[in-house]
Amino acid sequence: MTYLNQPDYVRYVCNCGSLKPISKIYFCRHCLMIRCGYCVCQKVDSHYCPNCMENLPSSEVRLKKNKCSNCFDCPCCFQTLSTRAGLAATMKATEGEENKDVKATPKKVYYLFCSLCRWSSRDAGIPDQSVATGGWPEQENPHTTRINALIDYHKILASIEKQQCERKKFHPKRPFMPTTMYSFTSTLLRKRIGRPLKPPMQSQSTAQPVSSIATEEIEELSEDIFTEPIDITKITTLEQRLQHPEVQAEKINELRPQHRQFLVKRSQRCRVCEHNVSKSDLCPQSIKFKILLAAFESPSLLPSTVRQVPVTEDPKPIKIIPNADLILPHSALILPPRDDAAEYDDTSDNHNFQDDPKLVVWRKGNKAVIRLHVIPNDTNENNEEPVIVGFVMQHGYVNTIAALEHKSPQKVDVKVKLYLNVGQLVDKA
Amino acid sequence: MLRGYEGVRYISDKQMIVFDIGSAYTKFGYAGEASPRGIIRTEVRCPESKKIRRIIDHTDVEDLYQLLVEFLHLLFFKYVVVSPKDARILLLESPLAVTSFRDTIAKVMFKHFEVGSILFLPSHLATISTLGIDTALVLDVGYQEATLIPIFEGIPVLKAWQALPLGGQIVHENLRRYFNDMSNDIDLSEKVLEDIKVRTCFVTTLERSTKLGTKDAPTPPPDVMYPGVQRILITGEIREKAFEILWERDNDNLSLSTMILDAIVKCPLDMRRVLAENIILVGGTTMTKGFASRLKSELLALVQNDLYKNKLKIQSFKFHTAPSKPNYTVWLGGAIFGTTDLPLRCLTKEIYLKTNRVPDWSSLIDNQKDETSYEV
Repeated sequence: MTYLNQPDYVRYVCNCGSLKPISKIYFCRHCLMIRCGYCVCQKVDSHYCPNCMENLPSSEVRLKKNKCSNCFDCPCCFQTLSTRAGLAATMKATEGEENKDVKATPKKVYYLFCSLCRWSSRDAGIPDQSVATGGWPEQENPHTTRINALIDYHKILASIEKQQCERKKFHPKRPFMPTTMYSFTSTLLRKRIGRPLKPPMQSQSTAQPVSSIATEEIEELSEDIFTEPIDITKITTLEQRLQHPEVQAEKINELRPQHRQFLVKRSQRCRVCEHNVSKSDLCPQSIKFKILLAAFESPSLLPSTVRQVPVTEDPKPIKIIPNADLILPHSALILPPRDDAAEYDDTSDNHNFQDDPKLVVWRKGNKAVIRLHVIPNDTNENNEEPVIVGFVMQHGYVNTIAALEHKSPQKVDVKVKLYLNVGQLVDKA
Repeated sequence: MLRGYEGVRYISDKQMIVFDIGSAYTKFGYAGEASPRGIIRTEVRCPESKKIRRIIDHTDVEDLYQLLVEFLHLLFFKYVVVSPKDARILLLESPLAVTSFRDTIAKVMFKHFEVGSILFLPSHLATISTLGIDTALVLDVGYQEATLIPIFEGIPVLKAWQALPLGGQIVHENLRRYFNDMSNDIDLSEKVLEDIKVRTCFVTTLERSTKLGTKDAPTPPPDVMYPGVQRILITGEIREKAFEILWERDNDNLSLSTMILDAIVKCPLDMRRVLAENIILVGGTTMTKGFASRLKSELLALVQNDLYKNKLKIQSFKFHTAPSKPNYTVWLGGAIFGTTDLPLRCLTKEIYLKTNRVPDWSSLIDNQKDETSYEV
C-alpha cells in the first residue's frame, strides 16, 4: 500500500506517452502492450450507493435520477445522515380522561440526524416519520408542468422541422432559377432565415404553450436590508445552495436533506483490441477484480465481426529528460515465476541460478536486487535536480491467450521503456 | 407526494447529456429534466502539480487539453455517471467564446472520450427555449464577463452583441480592494470573498447609490461579523458598495445598463420596443438581491440622459422570469432543446474524425451563401 502514495521513483512509459508507476498501468494480453488509465476506454459498469451498498440496474438508476432512495446527505455539511429513533412527544392532552386508563403505548418516531454538524430534521421543521425507511417529504420543482409544456412544444417544432427536411428531398432543386433574382421575395427570405415557408397551420399553433409574459414589476430591494442586522450563521453558503439547484434556499432552516448520489464501478478496455484490461466484481461490497479473465469466460461472445475503427489520440510528448547514463549488464537475469506460497517459505531457496555476483546482490522468491552503475552527466553535488536514468527493459512473456485458442503458448519478448529516479547526488565517489 | 411512476416521461434509450461549462461553475444534467443534476466548480486537480486548478487558468492549449480530460473524466464518472463512449452531448456555449476552447473541448470529447455526437447550442439562443417566445434580449452576467445578444424571431442579432468584463470576478476584486483599504493584514482567498459576497452583499438602490460617498450619505446597513479562525468585520459600507463597480461607467462610458441600451440602438427601429419589453437576465450574478430592480431604475434614468434621449424613445422596460433560477436558466434551455431529436444539427464523431474541425459561425467555410447550405 505504501508504494501507492510515495513519489514515483520508477516510471514506465505507456504507449500513449504518459509516465506512470507500475501500480497504475495495465498490460493488454492481446496487444502485448502497456496501457494506462489515460489510454483505455472506460465504461460505467454498475451503480451502487456508497452508504447502504445497494446495487441497482442502470435503468432503475436512471429513473431514480442516480440517487439512493434510502440514504440522505446532510444539507449543511454533506455527510451521510443517520436515522434516529425517538419517542413521540406527549400524548395529546385534549384526548379526555377516559383514555387515561388505557395503556398508552409510546409511539416510536424517526428523525434524521447528522452526527458531524448536529443538523437534525426536527430543527429544520420536517415532521417525524413513523417508519424508519423513508416517506420523507420530497421537494417538488414548482415549474415542472410549465417545463413539460415547453418540452412538448419543442418536440412539435422538431417534428415540423423533420417533415420539412423530408419534403425538401422530394423537391429537386431548380438550377435554372437564379437565386439572386428571387432573393427579395418573402418566400425566399423566409427560407433564408430558416422560418417555415407557410405560416403554421391552426392545429399546430394550438400546441404552443402560453408564452411567458414580461412585466415591469420587479421585486424591489426590501427596505429592511438597510436597517435589520443579519445573522450570518443563519444564511446558507453557496455550496449548500448549489446542493439543491432547484430551490437554492437562503436560510439554513429551509435546507432539506438530499438523496445520496450513487457511485459507479468502472471497467477498462483496451482501445485497440477492445478487450477488457480491468473489470471489477459486480457486487459493491467486493473489492476484488475479475481482471481480463472475465472477457474469456464466454469466448463465443468475442467480437469477431466488423470492429469500429479505433479512435486513438496522438501520443503525448514525453517531457522528462534523463540526465545520466547507465551501464547495462551484459547478461540476462532469470527470475523464477511468481509463487504466493514462496513468500512465506524461508527455506526453499532452491533455485540455483548461476548469478554474476557483481550484478545480483540478493535474491529471494521472485525478487532480486541488482546493482547497476549510473554515471550522472552533471557531477556537481550541489545540484538540486534528481538524477534520472532512462533505459529499455526487455523481458520474456508467455502468451497464454494463444493456449485458449488451441495454439501452443508463444513466448514473446516485450520491451518496456523505463525512467528511474535515483535521487540526488550526495557525495563524490 | 409524487409516486414513482408519475411525472416520468418516456425516457429514450440514450438521453442527451447537457453541459453548461461556465468559467466559474459547471451545470450538468440530462435533457428533458427540470433542473440540472448538479452545479459544481469548474476546477480539477491537476495531474502534474496535484493542485486544484481552475480551467480558465490554463496556460496554453495543451494544458487546457489535459485539464479538460481530467475535468470531463470527473464529470462523466463521478457526477453524471454515464459511459461517455457514443454518448450524445449537448454543449452550451456563448457565440462570443474563444474558438480555441471550443476546438479543444471537441477534440477531448471525440478523441479521448469517443462521444457519439455533440450539439453546440448558443447559450443566448437556448435561453429563449425556457420562455416559449422567440424574441428576447438576453443578458448573461456570469463570472468573467457580461454578454448580451438580442434574439429576434428566433434569430440571434449578432450585429448588436455586447460584452464587458463585468461579472462575479470583478466584484470579488472590488471586495478585496475594500478589505485591503481597511487593513493590510487581511489576505482573503477568492472563495472567502465569494462567500462574503453571496451571504452578505447586495445591490443597493440607485437613489442611495448616488448619495454614497457624498456628504449626506445614507446611514450604512448594519455591520456583519464573519466567523472563522480570523474574524473579519464586514462593514455595512462594504456590503452596500461591493456591486457598485458593475454600474459605474468605465473610461468608455460603458456599464451593464448601457450595454442593453447600446444593443437596442444597434437594432433596427421596429425591433427596439419589442426587445426592450422582453428582457431576460441569466447568470449567477443576476441573482443578487436588488440586481434586477437596480438595472431597471438605471435603464429608466439612462433613457432620460442626453446620451440616449434623442436616439431612443423607449419609456418602459419589461423583464421575463424563466421557470428556473437564473444561474441555470441557460442549462434549462439546453435541456428543453435537447429533447428534440434533431440529428442533422449535431456534429457526429464520423464527421469530426473525417474533417477534424468544428463548424463555426465566424468561419467563412460554414457561411457560404449558396443554396446548398440550407439543404443539409
